[in-house]
Amino acid sequence: MEIVTEAFILVRSINAKVYDKYLAFFIYLTAVLLIDLLRFSVLSFHPSIYAPFYWYTEFLHATIGYAVILEISKHALNNSPGPARIARTFLWAILGAVILRVILHAVSRSVWSTTTMSTELERDLRTVQALLLAGIIALLTYYVVATGRNLRGIIFGYSAYIYASIVSLAFGSLPGYGLRPGWRLVQPIAYLAALLIWGYGLWSYSPNPVAETESKIDRDYRFIAEQTRRAISRARSFLKMGGEL
Amino acid sequence: MSQLLPYLGVASLLLVVAALWARQIFLTRKSRIEVIAPRERQAAGGSTASHGDLGERIFGLEDWHFVSRSMSSEIQEMFLRERAVLAISWLRRTRRGASLVMRAHVAAAQQIEDLQLASEVKLALSYFFFLILCDVLIGWIWLRGPVRTRKMVSRTLRTVAWLRGAFEQLMARIDPATCKTLRTNLDHRAVRG
Repeated sequence: MEIVTEAFILVRSINAKVYDKYLAFFIYLTAVLLIDLLRFSVLSFHPSIYAPFYWYTEFLHATIGYAVILEISKHALNNSPGPARIARTFLWAILGAVILRVILHAVSRSVWSTTTMSTELERDLRTVQALLLAGIIALLTYYVVATGRNLRGIIFGYSAYIYASIVSLAFGSLPGYGLRPGWRLVQPIAYLAALLIWGYGLWSYSPNPVAETESKIDRDYRFIAEQTRRAISRARSFLKMGGEL
Repeated sequence: MSQLLPYLGVASLLLVVAALWARQIFLTRKSRIEVIAPRERQAAGGSTASHGDLGERIFGLEDWHFVSRSMSSEIQEMFLRERAVLAISWLRRTRRGASLVMRAHVAAAQQIEDLQLASEVKLALSYFFFLILCDVLIGWIWLRGPVRTRKMVSRTLRTVAWLRGAFEQLMARIDPATCKTLRTNLDHRAVRG
């Protein structure tokens, strides 16, 4: 189901000429499609190595998810230099704090296990993405930045997926919850929901509206000034003609 | 279970912020905010001096002394009721003025290239504190009336005046054009104690 929906969105994005407009996002979607195809072939031909393969590719999936954040931050604030500057400061601060936390966590850890580490690493990666996404959305809300349907689709879809991922990975990392099949279904269902939102949001190209840099009164004044200038110039040429006659 | 709290907290934060954004998209679909809005209100709002005097008059004791000395208890009650309505309306107007100026700043700030995170955070915090104080005052006056709560009102209004000063200074540094509007829209003097 996921593979079909991803392929459909990608084909539609190429037909609607949206692919190159949101290149990083569609590269992410293409990479996820390839990962899903690989997983499917591994499950069909080598089911014994599926579990470790799944976790390694899941880590890859979470890492390339940063391409979506990059795409969102690039498109969301490209017309607003002020909030973009604040966003950069905020993103660097978050990144610094996270790197510090990961180093401290790694130094203080005594026991290492691949599955636990993969789950925890993915959970941490998704949490950082959630923080970055929340920061960008907060700036969009606070500064009332106008956004198009495409960007809204990308943001809402990815937010839904990130939210569900964090909750499921956080509960999944608990000893009692990890083995329950219900928690394993949350992430794929949320991803499918995100795909449907992306499919709707990116059906056709709808860029962000360009912010008005001058107020209505300035615009009206410029318009009147231009009309007056033209009228005077017409009158002058008319008088000149009259003088010559 | 407690180790999950930071993760669930971040997830909830994302959910809340996304919900607020969705609400804003839904609400601003038809009514677009323009930088010109506060200037229009300023023109409609009457003179600055009369607005400031109105606040002093509403919370002043002169009228109450006159009514309490020479009028019946019915008239006194009516006066208190009317005065409370006036005071609440005046505070709401102050609050609305601040909101319009803030919205104008936020709309203008998109084009300011050297926007500073620290100044913006300070401005946002003082603005939200200002709104909370106005709401608390409205509730207080609604519960106890403007005369009985006069001391508390004057103390809070002094804090509001101080906040307004801080807000104005920050705005002057960040966005001088909108600051001019702020001066005329929010020109309320603190009540004499």
